[in-house]
Amino acid sequence: MTQSIILTLLGGAVLRVSALSSLYVNYVRPGFRVPLVAAGVVVLALGVLGLVQEWRRPYAPGTARPSGPRAAWLLCLPVVIIFLIAPPALGSYAAGLDPAPRPMPAGPYAALPAGGPPAMSLGEFIGRARSGTSPSLAGRQVTLTGFAVRADGGRWYLTRMRIGCCAADASPLRVAVLGVPAPRDDTWVTVTGTWVPTPDERAPAPEMRATRLTVIAPPAEPYE
Amino acid sequence: MSDRTTLDWSPEPESSAPPPTWGRRAPEAQVLLWVFAALAGFLLLGNVLLSPHLTAPALRTWSTIFVSICVQAVPFLVCGVALSSAITAFVPPSFWAKVPRRPYAAPVPGTAVRRALAFLPASPAVNPVVLVATAVAFPGHPDLVLARFAASLVVSVLAGWIWQATGRPGPARVPARAAEEGESRWAAFLSEMRYDLLRAGGFLVIGGLVAATLNVVVPRSWLASVSGIPWLPVLVLAVLAVVLSLRPETDAFVAASLTGFSPTARLVFLVAGPMVDLTALRAGAPARAYAVRFVPPVLTAAVLVSVLAGRVLL
Repeated sequence: MTQSIILTLLGGAVLRVSALSSLYVNYVRPGFRVPLVAAGVVVLALGVLGLVQEWRRPYAPGTARPSGPRAAWLLCLPVVIIFLIAPPALGSYAAGLDPAPRPMPAGPYAALPAGGPPAMSLGEFIGRARSGTSPSLAGRQVTLTGFAVRADGGRWYLTRMRIGCCAADASPLRVAVLGVPAPRDDTWVTVTGTWVPTPDERAPAPEMRATRLTVIAPPAEPYE
Repeated sequence: MSDRTTLDWSPEPESSAPPPTWGRRAPEAQVLLWVFAALAGFLLLGNVLLSPHLTAPALRTWSTIFVSICVQAVPFLVCGVALSSAITAFVPPSFWAKVPRRPYAAPVPGTAVRRALAFLPASPAVNPVVLVATAVAFPGHPDLVLARFAASLVVSVLAGWIWQATGRPGPARVPARAAEEGESRWAAFLSEMRYDLLRAGGFLVIGGLVAATLNVVVPRSWLASVSGIPWLPVLVLAVLAVVLSLRPETDAFVAASLTGFSPTARLVFLVAGPMVDLTALRAGAPARAYAVRFVPPVLTAAVLVSVLAGRVLL
């Protein structure tokens, strides 16, 4: 019986984050919703089927069923955490855990489109800033989106976590923003500005002189 | 027609009076609804009342990483468990006895090699679900998927040899839960799947706990200093893989979260883990022989082959 209850709760928790809300984007890639819903339905069905069988089974003394693996109880842990903590997307605390700069592929990048400041991912900005001799960023205004992380000495970084498969392998992308006061930690902002070439190639992050800063709501996809 | 009807009609049992427990439910079933309602109520209430207060950043970061490993692995776990349960429930044991005489093993010279190949289907280390899970866990790294496939294949063959050479200690395949008397195949499939899902899920939770704690609690500088010594991360992850006993469908996600370790060390984690099943120790027979004679050489082979594969392919 405990087996079926645990499976029902687990299936319910998976469906809670995938089908009934969009919490799953905090944990996995956005395209992963369909497999999650399917797995949740299967686990829930296994659990409910077991509960129904248990409920219908006629009483026969002395034929108690084996209670199943003891490790199963551990599965209550993610269920309880999903419901009680509802873990949010990784933010400034997680970014602070990994201070090393992330190497980005240094191109080749196409020329920036003409017209107003193009929106760009932090990864692309860092890659373009690092790409050797002919950076296409020079003198151009671009728009970046991320959350704020304050650093020592009044500096602050526009930050976004990059994930490979899920939040467990996330690593921070950082751009130092100059010229505007630092927003509070974990505030999502859009910054328009121009790349500032730094003499040291191994600087912790490329720099940008901002001309405009807008506070925005957290985006639907928190990771890059 | 009328004859058949008569034959199919089953007579009443000998005793005409129903047993005293007739119409009663099992004692567990009577509390079932209450237990379930209490748990669901606790979770839903907690969701509304407690979650606004559990906001310490370290706790939230830890739980995001932990939940993300569990959530990401669940679909692959379900697929892998369904596959192995289907094999257990629908493929008769006599089929496995015939495997060494299958034609595809014929061109390989020597009975030793053939016996070693026979070990392959018994080792779940390389099946399509495992390879897809690895590819999803390491997007943009098909070389790691290839290295895992190649190294696992080689180590499986070696493990088959070692198993033969050391006098077949322990079971080649962890024996499946025996089907209950009078159970249909579908019922056997479902109960096997339920059991396996819970067991493997429990181990996945332990893996997630370890990975999340390593990420949040252990400073990166420690991991960096471990990685400074070339052989140490390999050894650490080989031991961790054996201790965690993760199912191969889920271990790639734990490996992906160990971002402080080199690709070769992670490959060792992926290859060595499925080769040594410590849970087989409890499953019976000569546990000591298995642990003493079989595990060390297989583990050594897994580490050496993966390091070699890492050198060549990664």
